Amino acid sequence: MLLKVQNLHKIYKSGTHALKGVSFEVEEGEFLVVIGLSGSGKSTLLRCINRLIEPTSGIVEFNGKDITHIKGEELRKVKMQIGMVFQQFNLIKRKTVLSNVINGKLGSLKTFESIIEKYSDEVYSEAYKCLETVGISDKAKVRADALSGGQQQRVAIARSLMQNPKLLLADEPVASLDPATSNSIMQYFEKINKELGTTVICNLHFLSLVRRYATRVIALRAGEIIYEGSPRDIDENWFKTIYGEEAEEVEIR
Amino acid sequence: MSKQLEVEAQLKSFIEENRRREHKYGLLQAILLDIFFVFYSILVVQRAIYYKYFLDLRDLPFSWTQIIIIFFISIVIGTSWALTRTSLSCKLFGVANENKTTKWTTELFGWFLFDITFIAGWIVTKISIVSLFSSDGLNGAGRLFSALFHPQFGIFDDALFAMIETIYIALVATLISIPPTLIISFFTARNLMRENKITFAIYYVLRIILNFVRSIEPLIWAIIFSVWVGIGPFAGMIALLVHTIASNAKLYSEAIESIEQGPVEAISATGANKVQVVWHAVVPQIVLPFLSFTIYRWDINVRMATIIGLVGGGGIGTMLMQYQGLARWREVGLIVIMIAFVVWIMDYISAKIREAIY
Ligand SMILES: Nc1ncnc2c1ncn2[C@@H]1O[C@H](COP(=O)(O)OP(=O)(O)OP(=O)(O)O)[C@@H](O)[C@H]1O
Ligand SMILES: [Mg+2]
Repeated sequence: MLLKVQNLHKIYKSGTHALKGVSFEVEEGEFLVVIGLSGSGKSTLLRCINRLIEPTSGIVEFNGKDITHIKGEELRKVKMQIGMVFQQFNLIKRKTVLSNVINGKLGSLKTFESIIEKYSDEVYSEAYKCLETVGISDKAKVRADALSGGQQQRVAIARSLMQNPKLLLADEPVASLDPATSNSIMQYFEKINKELGTTVICNLHFLSLVRRYATRVIALRAGEIIYEGSPRDIDENWFKTIYGEEAEEVEIR
Repeated sequence: MSKQLEVEAQLKSFIEENRRREHKYGLLQAILLDIFFVFYSILVVQRAIYYKYFLDLRDLPFSWTQIIIIFFISIVIGTSWALTRTSLSCKLFGVANENKTTKWTTELFGWFLFDITFIAGWIVTKISIVSLFSSDGLNGAGRLFSALFHPQFGIFDDALFAMIETIYIALVATLISIPPTLIISFFTARNLMRENKITFAIYYVLRIILNFVRSIEPLIWAIIFSVWVGIGPFAGMIALLVHTIASNAKLYSEAIESIEQGPVEAISATGANKVQVVWHAVVPQIVLPFLSFTIYRWDINVRMATIIGLVGGGGIGTMLMQYQGLARWREVGLIVIMIAFVVWIMDYISAKIREAIY
C-alpha cells in the first residue's frame, strides 16, 4: 500500500473545519480521482498529504511510514518522492522552461550548485527527457510566461516528473483550460500512470473526465467522504448527492 | 464518531472564545480612543481657539494641574460614552449598537472633530492674506525674482563642480545601500519570517528599528553626522545612506510580501530546502521591482542631497546656502536653475530606465 490516510481532520486558523475525519487507502499504480463541490476540502486533502499544510489530527502514512509529524530533512526526503501539479501551473514566469523543469530536482542537488545554476550533463538530459514525455522539448529555451496555459501545465508536469515521484498529486490540473486541452493534459497523466507506473491522485470537476481516467473515485462533501468506489457506479442519484439537487451534468469531451 | 463530536465541540468553544476576546478587546480600544477624542477636543478648543484666538495670548498659560483635571474629565466622559455603545470609536472598532443615536452622535462628533482641527490649524499657522499681498512684501519678492532670472554665470564652473559632487553623493549612497538593504529586506518580510517564533521576533525588532530610523528625516541625520564625522560630503553621504537603507528595506520587503505564493509552494513541494526556495521562487519575482526601486531612490537621493547640503552635507546645497547668506541673489539664481535642470534630467532618466526594464 502506498498511501494510507486515517481519520484526518483539518481545522484552519479561521475556524473552518475543512476535513472531518477522512480515511482512505491508495494502492500502488492506482489513478484515484477526488471529486466534490467547491469548498468541499479537495485541495486541503492533497495539501495535507504532502504536508504543504499541517493536519490538525489523524495520520498520513506514505510507503508504510507515518509522515504526519516528521520535520526538516526527513520531511524534505518525503516531499521529493511526491510530485504536485496545480491549477495555476505555478511556474517561475521569468525563467526558461528548462530551468523550471530543473527546479523539480532541487531537493537532490547541493544548495551551492543550485544557486550558481551549474548543473551536470545528466541533469540536463534528464530534464530534456521529462520534457519529451510531455511532448514539449522544443520549447526548452523559451520563457515560461510565453507559453499557453496548456503548454505551461505540461511544463509543470515535466517539473514534477523530474522528481521521479512515487506519487503524483494534481489539484484541479485542468480547471483553467479549455475542453480539448484538458483532455490532452489528462492523457499525459494517464500515460505517466500507465507507462511509468506512477500512482496519481487528482482533483477533478468534470464527471466525463472522471469516468474516462479514474480507476477509483472518492467524493467529498463538506469535508467528509460520501462515496468511494468505481467511477462507473456514479449514477444520477449519486451525482445529486454529491453536487446537490440543483446540479445537472454537463458533458465535456 | 465520538472523536468527531469532540473535535466539533472543541471547535465551537474555540470560535466562541475568539469572538468574546475580540469583542472585549474592541471595547477597550474604543474606550481609550474616546478618552483621547474628548481630551483632544477640550484641549484644542481651550488652548488654540479660546486662548490664542479670543484672548489673543502670546504665551499660553500652562499648568499640569489643569491638564490632569482635563484628563480626568475626559476619562469620565469618554468611558461612559463608549460604554453606551453609541460613540464614534465604538463604531470604528465595530462594537457599537447600531441605532439612530449612534448614527447621529458619530456624524455630529466626527464633523466637530474635523472642524475644530481645521480651525485650530488655521489659527496656529497664522494664515494671513494681508502679509501675502502687502506692498513691502511684493517689492521684496519682485527684486528677488528679477535677480533669479538674471543669473550670474561667473560662478558656473564652481557650481558645476558642486553639482557633480551632489550627484556622486547620491550615487554612492544608493550603491552602498544595496547589499545591506537586500539582506535586511528578507528578514523584514512577513511571509518569510512568520513561521516560527524566533524568526518572527527578529522580524518584529527589525521592523521597529527601521520604522524609527525612517521616521527621522535625512536632514536631521545630516545634522547628526556632520557633528559626528565633520561637516562635508561624507556626512551627507552617510545621512543619505542610513535613510536609503531604512526606506528601501521597507519597499523591498513589501515587494517580497506581495509575490505570488503559488510558485513558492510549488518549489517547496518538490522538497527543496529553504535557501533554494528563496533563491529559485522568491528572488526571480523580485529582481525587477528591486532594480526599479533602487533607480528611483537614486533620483530621490539627488534631490535629498541638495537639501542636505543646506545643513552642511556638501555639494550644491552648501554652496546655495553660502550665497543666500550673503544675499547674492544672482548667484543663487544660477544655482537654483542648475538644480532644477539636474532634477528634471534625473527624473527623466530614471523614468526611462524603469520603463525599459519592465
Ligand atoms: N488557507 C485557508 N485558510 C482558511 N480557510 C481555508 C483555507 N484554505 C481553504 N479554506 C477553507 O476550507 C474549506 C475547503 O477548502 P478547499 O480549498 O480544500 O476546497 P476545494 O474542495 O479545493 O474547493 P475548490 O474546488 O474551490 O478548489 C473551504 O471552506 C475554504 O474556505
Ligand atoms: Mg481547490
